Parts: sequence; C-alpha cells; structure tokens
Amino acid sequence: MSIIVEKICCSRKGRAILQDVSLMVQVGEIMGLLGPNGAGKTTLIRLLAGLARPDSGRICMFGEDAAKRSVKFRRLMGLVPQENTFESELTIEQSMLCSARLYGIANARAKVEAVCREFQIGSWRKKYPEKLSGGMKRRAMIARAMLSSPQVLLLDEPSVGLDPDMRQEIWQAVKKLKAAGKTVLITTHYMEEAEKLCDRIAFLRAGQVIYQGTTAGMRQKISPQQEISLEDAFVALALAGRRTG
Amino acid sequence: MMGGVQAVFYREMLMLVRRIGGLGYLFSGLLFPMIYLLAFGWGLGNNISVAGGYIAYLAKGMLAITVMMNAFQQTALSVSAARFYYRTFAVLRLSPISDGAIVLGIALAGTVRALLAAAVVFIAAKLFFGIAVLTGPGFVGLVLTAFAFAAFGVAVGLSIKGQEQFSIVINFFITPMTFFCGSFFPIANLPEVVQDIVRFLPLSLTNQLLQATNFVGEAGIAALALVFFMTVIYLYSTYRVHNYSEF
Repeated sequence: MSIIVEKICCSRKGRAILQDVSLMVQVGEIMGLLGPNGAGKTTLIRLLAGLARPDSGRICMFGEDAAKRSVKFRRLMGLVPQENTFESELTIEQSMLCSARLYGIANARAKVEAVCREFQIGSWRKKYPEKLSGGMKRRAMIARAMLSSPQVLLLDEPSVGLDPDMRQEIWQAVKKLKAAGKTVLITTHYMEEAEKLCDRIAFLRAGQVIYQGTTAGMRQKISPQQEISLEDAFVALALAGRRTG
Repeated sequence: MMGGVQAVFYREMLMLVRRIGGLGYLFSGLLFPMIYLLAFGWGLGNNISVAGGYIAYLAKGMLAITVMMNAFQQTALSVSAARFYYRTFAVLRLSPISDGAIVLGIALAGTVRALLAAAVVFIAAKLFFGIAVLTGPGFVGLVLTAFAFAAFGVAVGLSIKGQEQFSIVINFFITPMTFFCGSFFPIANLPEVVQDIVRFLPLSLTNQLLQATNFVGEAGIAALALVFFMTVIYLYSTYRVHNYSEF
C-alpha cells in the first residue's frame, strides 16, 4: 500500500475540518479526492504532505509516519499546491535549480534540463513567474515536484482555472506519472477530470469520507436504476449533505 | 547537513541579489543609521563626553543597530511573507533537509545581508567623518549579533499569526534595545536598576564588544554570552521549524 490514512481527525479554532477520515491508496494508483468547497480536501492534502498535524489518527506513506516528518518521508512525496509557490525573485529555471539542490540531486542542471524537456518547458523557463500564464506555472510546478522522482505526487486542484487545452496537457502529464508507476492523489472539482484520470475516488463532505470506490460505482450508488452523470451524482451527494447538515 | 545548509543559503542569496538590484533596498538600509548619526551627532555631540569622541562612539552604536535591525527585520519579514503571501516556505519545509539546516541556511544568509548593510554604514562613517570604527572584538560581536538576530527573525517569522504581531516584537523588544543598550550613550548614564537589566541584553553585549580592543575581561564574557544567546535562539528557531504548520 502506498498511502494509508487511519481515522484522521483535524480541527481548527474549535471547528472540525476532518472527522474520522480513513483512506488507502495503492502503489501506482491515481486516487481522486472529490467534494464540495470546504469539504476538507486541501486540509487532507496538507496533512498528507506533513505541512500540518492532525489532532488524532495516523498517516503513513510507504510505511513512513507523516507525523515524524522525517527526511525519508519528505523524499517520498512531491506536492503541487493550488497556489503558485515559485519564488517571485527567481526565474523558473533558478527555482528549479534551487529545488534540485535542496533535494541533493547530483548534476542538478542536467536533471532540470531533462525534466523541462519531459514537461515541454521551453525557453520560458528563463522568465520570472509573474510573466507566465497560470497554465505555464502549473506545468512548471508539476515538473519541479518531479525533479526528485518522488514515489507519491499530491496534486491540489492542478487544472483549476486553466483553458481546456492546458488542462489536457496537465492530464497527459499525470497519465505519464501513472505510466511511470507513481502514485498520484489529486483533488478536483472537474468531474471529467475524475472520470478520465482517476482509478478510484473518495468523496468528502463536511470533513467525512462518504464514498470510496470507482466513479462508475458512485453513479451506481446514487442511481441504481437509471444511468446518471458523475456530475449529477456529485450534486446529489453534496445536496444530501446540505439537507442533513 | 552541510549540503542542506548550502542549498538553503544559495537560494536565499539568489533572492537577495535580485532584491539588492533595486537601489532603494541599499539606500533605505543606509538611511536610518545615517539620519541617527547626523541628527544625534550634531544635536548631542557636544553634550555627551565619551573616550574617543561622541561621533566615533555613535558610529559604533549605529553599526550595532544596523546589524540588529537588518538581520532581524529582513529575515522575519521574508520568512513571514513566505508563509502568508507567497507560500514559498512550504518549499523548504517539504524538502528533505533537517530543520536545523533550514534555520542555519536562512540565518547565515541573514548574517551576510546584515553585514553588507553594516559595511555600507562603516564606509559612510569613514568617508564622511574620517573614523575607522571597527576592532577585532567588534567584528566578532557584529557577526554573532547578526546570526543571533537573523535566527530570531526565523523564529518570529514562523510564530506570528499576522503582520500586525510583527510590530509588537519591534515595539516591545527591538526599539527599547535600540535606545537603551548603549548605542547612543553609555549604559553607565542610566539609573543603576535599569543598568542591571540592560547590560545582559544582546545589543548591550554587541556594543561592549564594539568598544573593546581585545577579548580580555568583560569583553570575553560578553562574547561568550552572545554565543550563548545565539545558541539558545538557534535551537528555539529549529524547534519552530519542526512544529511548522500551515494552519
């Protein structure tokens, strides 16, 4: 098993954000985290990355406990957060070289060249992030996360706000990762993205996992008699939460 | 560990080179000490008698203040901005280097930044007033002070919950040290009760070293005390990095 999340509870300022969340992600699997805004998806990603600590429960990645934040744990995982995290004072290339050095990669320049080629990052890598489009930055962030060849990649809404063509490019990049045997955990609001990319999904609502399985299984669960779209199933699950909540 | 320190230091220095490209960065750092030097030198120079002359005394005090302010303020602002606005601190926190190496790399970069600012003040003091103000113990004091306050900047940058809390640290800790720790006038001019408190503050130790010509006696003790402060602050900053949370 690549990722094991066991009974995670997390609160902030007395408000429960995640309640008793458990998940398992297999090696080489693309797992999608779905749910309405405020469901706790980004919080779960932060906990998985070791950028925050849960109140209780345990997160393991390839047997390494996230709470210990060990150097070994950090080598296992790459994170692409929602927001741009390129340093405004550095060009994309300089940022990537710095990251390569932080990960102790021998021959950092050659590695950056190789990753840029793989993710089709051309001469614009010499530019500062403020000069680039959202899609370019997002692609460069995925490339930067892949510099250290992590076993697990956490992607927090990688295609939000992107043009359809740029979104397709991001999907191709994620598919390449799966082909390379990487485990990918991705949060998304796009049902098409979940259907096309994810082997399995987990649906979060009000900090709880209320469904885990395939996208087809989720549609079937909501409407056993009649075939519905994943978007309809999503809306039904989200609305059910509002009625009971 | 040293590979990690080098990587963090290299990243910080690259960012500094880009920032320093703007002349405003250099001159704004120089402006405050020069204003103090001119205003207090001209205004109070004749009223305060110290060995070696008041301007030379004040120039040393300005070096201490410049190093403290630059090391602390620039590092704390940079770390807190990387947390709150740019979200780039996570890049360091996610990388597989130890917490101690992160602090060491950032604090060393802060030290270099502060010493560069001090060098500008030193050159200005030499050019405009013809005074050479630095002794061996003084230089050691400046380096130790720069590192200690840069490390303190890391701890504060990671501890504050918003930019407004930053001014609390400045108002209650940095500003009193600026005026009471012997930079503008000897600590001996203060009431005895205040002297007893003030002499153990880090900036007083720096000023003591700046006035010393060797490490014999009190200067040696001041240097050791600064090393002690520096170590405690470094360990505390490392603890803050270890407990870093994006909540």
